[in-house]
Amino acid sequence: MPVIDNVTCPVCGTLCDDLSVTVKENAIIDVKNACAVSEAKFMSFSNPKHRNLRPLIRKNGKLIESTFEEAVEKSAQILVDASYPILYGWSCTSCEAIRVGLELAEEVGGITDNTSTVCHGPSILSIQNLGIPTCTLGQIRHRADLIIYWASDPYSAHPRHMERYTAFSDGRFQESEWEHFVTRLRGILGRRRLNRASELVLMKEASLPVFSGQKLPPKFETRKRKVIVVDVRKTHSAEFADFFLQVEPNKDFELFQALRLLVRDGELEVNQVAGVPVDLLEEVADALVGCDFGALFFGVGLTMSSGKLQNIDAAIALTQDLNLRTKFVIMPMRGHFNVAGANVVYTWQTGYPFALDFSQNYPRYNPGETSVVDILSHDKADAGLIVASDPVSNFPRSAVENLVKNPLIVIDPVISPTTMVADVVFPSAFVGIEVDGTAYRMDRVPLPMKKLVDPPSLCHSDEEILRRILHQVKRIKQQRRKL
Amino acid sequence: MGGLLVKNGFVYDPLNNINGEKMDIAVLDGKIVEKTRNAKVIDASGMVVMPGGVDIHSHIAGSKVNSGRLLRPEDHYKDVEARTAKTRSGVGYSIPSTFTTGYRYSRLGWTTVMEPAMPPLKAKHTHEELNDTPMIDKGAFPLLGSNWFVLEHLRAKEYEECAAYVAWMMRATKGYAIKIVNPGGLEAWGFGRNVRDIDDPVPNFDITPREIVQGLCKVNQLLNLPHTIHVHTNNLGKPGNYITTLETMKCVENLATEVNPAIHLTHCQFSAFAGNNWRTFRSASEEISEYVNSHSHVTLDIGQIIFTNTTTMTADGPFQFILYQITGNKWVNNDVETETSSGIVPFRYKRKSYVHAIQWTVGLELALKIKDPWKTFLTTDHPNAGPFMAYPKIIAWLMSQKARDAVISKISRKARHKASLPSIDREFTLHEIAVVTRAGQAKALGLKNKGHLGIGADADIAIYNLNPEKTNLAKEPAMIRQAFKNAAYTIKDGEIVVKNGEVVKSVNGKTYWADLKASQSLLEIEPELQKVFEEYYTVKYENYLVPNHYLSIGAPIQIQTKV
Amino acid sequence: MTLKLQLIKELRVPIDAGCICPDTFAGKSLNEIAELQIWEGNRKRLLNSLFELKEDSQETPDETNIHLTGNLSRVQRIGAGMKGGEITVQGDVGMHLGEKMLGGTIMVEGNAGSWTGSAMKGGTIIVKKNAGDYIGGAYRGSTKGMQGGTIIIHGDAGTEVGCYMRNGLIKIQGNVAQFVGIRMRNGTIVVQGSAAERAGAFMTGGKIIICNNVTSILPSFSIDSIKSKAKAEGEAIKGPFYLFIGDLADHGNGKLYVSKNKNEYLKSFEEFL
Repeated sequence: MPVIDNVTCPVCGTLCDDLSVTVKENAIIDVKNACAVSEAKFMSFSNPKHRNLRPLIRKNGKLIESTFEEAVEKSAQILVDASYPILYGWSCTSCEAIRVGLELAEEVGGITDNTSTVCHGPSILSIQNLGIPTCTLGQIRHRADLIIYWASDPYSAHPRHMERYTAFSDGRFQESEWEHFVTRLRGILGRRRLNRASELVLMKEASLPVFSGQKLPPKFETRKRKVIVVDVRKTHSAEFADFFLQVEPNKDFELFQALRLLVRDGELEVNQVAGVPVDLLEEVADALVGCDFGALFFGVGLTMSSGKLQNIDAAIALTQDLNLRTKFVIMPMRGHFNVAGANVVYTWQTGYPFALDFSQNYPRYNPGETSVVDILSHDKADAGLIVASDPVSNFPRSAVENLVKNPLIVIDPVISPTTMVADVVFPSAFVGIEVDGTAYRMDRVPLPMKKLVDPPSLCHSDEEILRRILHQVKRIKQQRRKL
Repeated sequence: MGGLLVKNGFVYDPLNNINGEKMDIAVLDGKIVEKTRNAKVIDASGMVVMPGGVDIHSHIAGSKVNSGRLLRPEDHYKDVEARTAKTRSGVGYSIPSTFTTGYRYSRLGWTTVMEPAMPPLKAKHTHEELNDTPMIDKGAFPLLGSNWFVLEHLRAKEYEECAAYVAWMMRATKGYAIKIVNPGGLEAWGFGRNVRDIDDPVPNFDITPREIVQGLCKVNQLLNLPHTIHVHTNNLGKPGNYITTLETMKCVENLATEVNPAIHLTHCQFSAFAGNNWRTFRSASEEISEYVNSHSHVTLDIGQIIFTNTTTMTADGPFQFILYQITGNKWVNNDVETETSSGIVPFRYKRKSYVHAIQWTVGLELALKIKDPWKTFLTTDHPNAGPFMAYPKIIAWLMSQKARDAVISKISRKARHKASLPSIDREFTLHEIAVVTRAGQAKALGLKNKGHLGIGADADIAIYNLNPEKTNLAKEPAMIRQAFKNAAYTIKDGEIVVKNGEVVKSVNGKTYWADLKASQSLLEIEPELQKVFEEYYTVKYENYLVPNHYLSIGAPIQIQTKV
Repeated sequence: MTLKLQLIKELRVPIDAGCICPDTFAGKSLNEIAELQIWEGNRKRLLNSLFELKEDSQETPDETNIHLTGNLSRVQRIGAGMKGGEITVQGDVGMHLGEKMLGGTIMVEGNAGSWTGSAMKGGTIIVKKNAGDYIGGAYRGSTKGMQGGTIIIHGDAGTEVGCYMRNGLIKIQGNVAQFVGIRMRNGTIVVQGSAAERAGAFMTGGKIIICNNVTSILPSFSIDSIKSKAKAEGEAIKGPFYLFIGDLADHGNGKLYVSKNKNEYLKSFEEFL
């Protein structure tokens, strides 16, 4: 049976590229090295119950089967007629498709936005305020002796992140801390229960005590790898950390500013910040300054809680301050497998990473004004095209209502609440399983996505579908000019 | 493709020793030919005809450039390009979007541009952007001066193995030349440190920058690469760094051959600072040009400062960190595992700043004091010293003392008194301009079909509305600027793509890369490489390679190596 | 010249009406003004396809005055870059009102959108009801917020009032949301009502005066003194106020005045005096 190696996983921004997939008769029957989320996708993607398999058009209120050509024509008509169409999604498809999507958005004078608008959009705005000291993940694997996950739970959202790039990876200058972790488990649980315990850990149900308290453990005196998890609640990732720092909900900003002051040897006039005693905070600040190479990863817990982009501003500012004392980097934990790629392609073609408005024939950018959620919330759009995304499940209610009342085109491999309310549905092929392409890892390292099996007969790639719509839009516009 | 006949222009084709003669240039099937029949005629009478411009060093594509774009919406929104029936929209100023980059180069009459800093791990990104950069031919230089494999081979003095690795790298990343940035310093920057000078060993690697430069120079010669090593020196941007620069040139002196230079020093302006600190800062153009005038193994490009608000971006992470501290502006740093680093800081060069004004004089002094124009090329290290859109201005400065004096009268008074520029009366001829903007650059890059208009050359032609017979150009700098700003015609591969400064046709250019043929035994490094590869990188060997299909029009240059 | 513009169409998509500006109208005939170009979404339109234009012959001031009526909440960039004259709006108005304006007066009887007076350098904007976010702010990525002039909001304002402010005066008679005076370098912000968290975050200079309750003070601010009054562009505001200095995390020397009587919970800071 053919085994395809070095497969890049089309699930999260960690973009593991070491999967081995076994294919038999155009079906995936086994996948190795994958995390549970990835395995679930590989083993169930083809389930016809969840797939869009034919182009559909809404007629008399019902979605009925149509031909591909009819669906293309209808979509092109909708887009040409619109005065302010939105083209949204783009983080679960290939860069090749995004390139065509941008040309389409420009051709129809639309607004195009990717899902970073609802996850790490604030992080991007912060970068535009301050810049960002960052690196590729290998730098962290080779060098980092202090790793912080802030408002991010890699154990659940990026399951192989710690194993591949941080605490449990082996680098040139730093070793994996797996053994240390196991020893610690032993201490906690006793030798007899070790096997059972590690089993439980891997099964995800188990809950282990975490290291927290009023002082950092002695390990922080060493040059070994240390992991700190900062979050509002005890997450699974916290169990793997050398120290868990609990912060009051919506107080991250205060904590960052206090740390910044301490890193600059300033003094606080309060006894505690965000629920953390100042004495402990001083120890943490010393640990930040004292490391050889620190890395701070943050998740949407920070970008979407009170303060939003200012939380990230403070986090980046802290990292920049720390670079005056040691080496420190910061990186957002990107969610969808190619959301970083969407930002990258948008930026090279237009100068801006998301929330693009082509209505005046050149790219304009002002998140808050040209971002899709804001446009929909204020009911300013008059048509929509969604690619590989499910805004009906994710957007605020008012935005969804306004999205749905306009003509809506959806390109998606799977049936979703969004496809169910659409006026035109294109069944598409899964990028990284049924079609190849390029995606960008969370550190913007480009990786090839492989085609492993053939898609169902009527499912085309996003790129192909968009190309056909673009072609038809150009034709209709040409005809109208002649009239 | 129908033929073209460019009639009656004043032709400047230095590589073929044609110096402003009135003649016709015939084009067929994208090449310069002896003659064509029934060709479309372009009346170039009263105009200057040159080979299409060549840029040896301009940051136009890739991870770092794109981070710069992302960083600066405030830079874009003042300078936008609306879509037309022929062109895509975009944004401009210091870091134009890809389409706009291509159109703007073409409007200046430039047809070949090299992206000089490609982190190998992100080579696919560079090529994807180059594919979206229309109108020009291009190539990219992989960064190798702090690469672990290179450092380890050179430390062990395994030059042939290192050559095999570099040959593999050129194929793997579709690269064109060896780029060295702050040799060894970028590895040190991985832990926030730097190397002090050319003999300061790289932490953890026990090799000096001198050994890296010499080693890669040897490797470059073993591989017969078309271009020399392309070097951004240690200590760039620091007062007193000219000593390091001289040492860098000297360290490969004995590797020079009669025929070819051994080293290209890029954006030399930033490496020609004298003085002990910013207060005693002064130009070292005298020391550098004296050395270059008496040696034949060096070429350099100037990296001319433009007084404007631009974006600095180099692979030199520690240097960018210093700029961040000096300016307090926003700062991006992006280190790449096993290979390199990079940094970005927005920067404004001010006329009234003593240091900036001296920097402005250094670039021009280098160009004017180095006697042989074939050794020195016009660049702005786009966008580091200024956007490439300033080339017409620089051409005017080189050709006209009057144009220089107009600026000198407005710069910092202290700089005006200290600089040697006001006393230089050399004025470039159009012939010399053609050397420093195309012929010399093409020659240094080893691009045989570029930079000239001889039979068989690529039909990349720039026509400027400038009449050297009618006007004393040195007295009319505004006319020079105007003519070079909007090419009357740009012809790319035999097609008219720009007319009167407007893009009339969008075309896609080729991407050159060095396809090195080494002996079988050296090609067998792959299994060895694969073994350590996963210890060094977080991606799989297979996924690191850039397959041919990543280049929309790939143009491999086949080279037989000496190993 | 005084011009009256009445909106005659119900709007759906955003309108870019940067041409509605006294300087653009000045010296043009009514017909020429009617044919100025605006954007309705991605369609180019003439001004008179959306507005009925009338010249008010009763009023003949030297300057150009514009009276707008209708629900203009989707009409953006009115008065952008204006140098002089007057605009009055009967009703609500959209984003970027008076963006980059240099002089003159804009008076809005209703609500104004976000980015009102962003990057303005002179002139006066008065909003009788509420305003959105980023009042007197800066464009994305830029550090040049409001550099002069006056903005007065009679109602409430949203987040980040005076972001990157470099000079001028902003007065909010109602309440403000989070991050008032964020990143400000100079100038004055007066909030008659109360302020949500994080007033003065990242500020390096300038003055914020909060006359009512403030939800919390950032840990990176340090108490300086108790003042009996605070001065805002010559006007004295009666206190007493706690004066905090910050944002110390950014080596800041901004002044944050907070009413003493309305914020008794801040009494604990007095021990540091």
